[in-house]
Amino acid sequence: MKTTGLLFSILLAITPGAQAQTNGGYTNFIRQIQLPSGVEKDMTNLEAAGTQDSALAINPGGARFELHSVNTVTATPYLLVSQYVASYVPTVDLVITSEDPYDIVPRTRADRPFYVKTSVTGLLSGATDPEAAKKVNFLRHVQSYGEGGTGVGIDTTQATLLSQSYIESSAVAPLPTVATMTFAINAVPGADRAKIRGEERFSVFSLADERIEEESGQKYSAPAAQLASQRIQIWPVADGALTGITAGQLIRFKMPPVTVTLNDLYPDSHTYVQVYKGPAQLGMTGKKIPESRIIMDSTPQDEVFTLTNYDSVFGEDGEWTMELVTKTPFGLDRLAHVTFNLDLTLQMNGSVTTIDN
Amino acid sequence: MKPAEIQLLEAMKISTMFLPLCWIAALMMTASLSAEPAMRDVATHDQLSERLRVANNKGPLVDLKPAQGPDPTKASTGGDLISRSDFLSYVGRATLVPKRAILHIPANMADRIKLQPGSKIQNWADFYAMNRSWITTVEVSRAQAEGKESLGEDLLKRIQKSTNVIVATHSAGPISVLPLKVPVQAPVATTTTSKP
Repeated sequence: MKTTGLLFSILLAITPGAQAQTNGGYTNFIRQIQLPSGVEKDMTNLEAAGTQDSALAINPGGARFELHSVNTVTATPYLLVSQYVASYVPTVDLVITSEDPYDIVPRTRADRPFYVKTSVTGLLSGATDPEAAKKVNFLRHVQSYGEGGTGVGIDTTQATLLSQSYIESSAVAPLPTVATMTFAINAVPGADRAKIRGEERFSVFSLADERIEEESGQKYSAPAAQLASQRIQIWPVADGALTGITAGQLIRFKMPPVTVTLNDLYPDSHTYVQVYKGPAQLGMTGKKIPESRIIMDSTPQDEVFTLTNYDSVFGEDGEWTMELVTKTPFGLDRLAHVTFNLDLTLQMNGSVTTIDN
Repeated sequence: MKPAEIQLLEAMKISTMFLPLCWIAALMMTASLSAEPAMRDVATHDQLSERLRVANNKGPLVDLKPAQGPDPTKASTGGDLISRSDFLSYVGRATLVPKRAILHIPANMADRIKLQPGSKIQNWADFYAMNRSWITTVEVSRAQAEGKESLGEDLLKRIQKSTNVIVATHSAGPISVLPLKVPVQAPVATTTTSKP
């Protein structure tokens, strides 16, 4: 590879940090890290958008370019994007999707599937091509947030490597260079599989390689470098309880207060209590008691509330079922139900007598 | 075809004058026919454990050729930008440069080599333009930055005697300068002569 400057471009205009830069809240830095030496250099005279030559030649070990936005007041850094550049590096796109259309961070629930789409271009297949040019390493990491955790501030280096596999250019490779993989369920560790809180991270790395600079004949050790990475957050399955009425109870004159306890309501969910006449039957649509809870958040929520003065939803006496239902991007889930007998009619037993004089 | 749609088609045969109304009606009927998504009881730990067991045996990765070697994500990237940088601060302004880019700090300026509270972060070019009186830059080559070549005795002496803070740059950008790598000398062959 020639040891001349490599044209390197960064589109600052598309980054949140760059937008913030215009109001003076952030200062951008592009840090170039030469590999394997570890020499670091800051690029200067950054424009909001455009291209700039790398002042340092990119040797066969490659270089990583990092775009950081630093808060001008707190000095808190945000790594916006990182790009590894070397003589032969495949291009990788990696996208994770789920049934939840939320697009800030892909997310799903502990009982639902998710999908990982990979697209690898630029792999070579010649007999004399180095291994690092013919395949990339596809990694799957899992990490639990712990009980009640939300993932804020976790140390991602503590994630557990679940598997690493090759994506190869060979036509006989089991995984084509463009593939969508379906994961039926997450593998984040946890004692209760319904209460998983954590994330799965998929990443693609180049292979470590020994490279020789043509001009000088010098040997370089190019370390494995991250080409693409994305994570999906896994949130627990909600649970709930209705307390105040027991199964088979005969309720007379007035409905008692019912306490509704909700745990781990999924972000972007609508939870309500409904009643219908007859025994419990999955899939019934009943009358909603107007005490619903709507969750619009980025993490699961807990709620407790009490139903009072809701007799009007019952049209007649008899056997009734009360259900606690949550609606999420995955459909309707019944969290709890109770069937009871109702007798709200006030019967007056007495006699009327007259006295004739 | 759903009964509602059949009724709709018949209505259309009667008269096309009511086409817009029919279309609206069709939309409303379709909406009323589309039921809520199927309801289920929440999944339990046992159900999900079984599903995971099946997935582990028949997941999308089981047929792939496993890769060898250590986890590449564990290789240290050296920490975040701040931990890999030194701050320079003066009269309410500050900037950062790569660690090892500051080659010399006079004793009386040591308190400027940190982030002073309340300082506003600037980029290097703006900060340097305002602080040339106490910061001097030294252009170094790539080989010097990599520790393959010495900065030279003369320059090293001038750096040590400077009353300014000295920052290494390459093409005007601050750059770290690694310690000079001392070439490994081949072991000197020793010859022993044994007396006859």
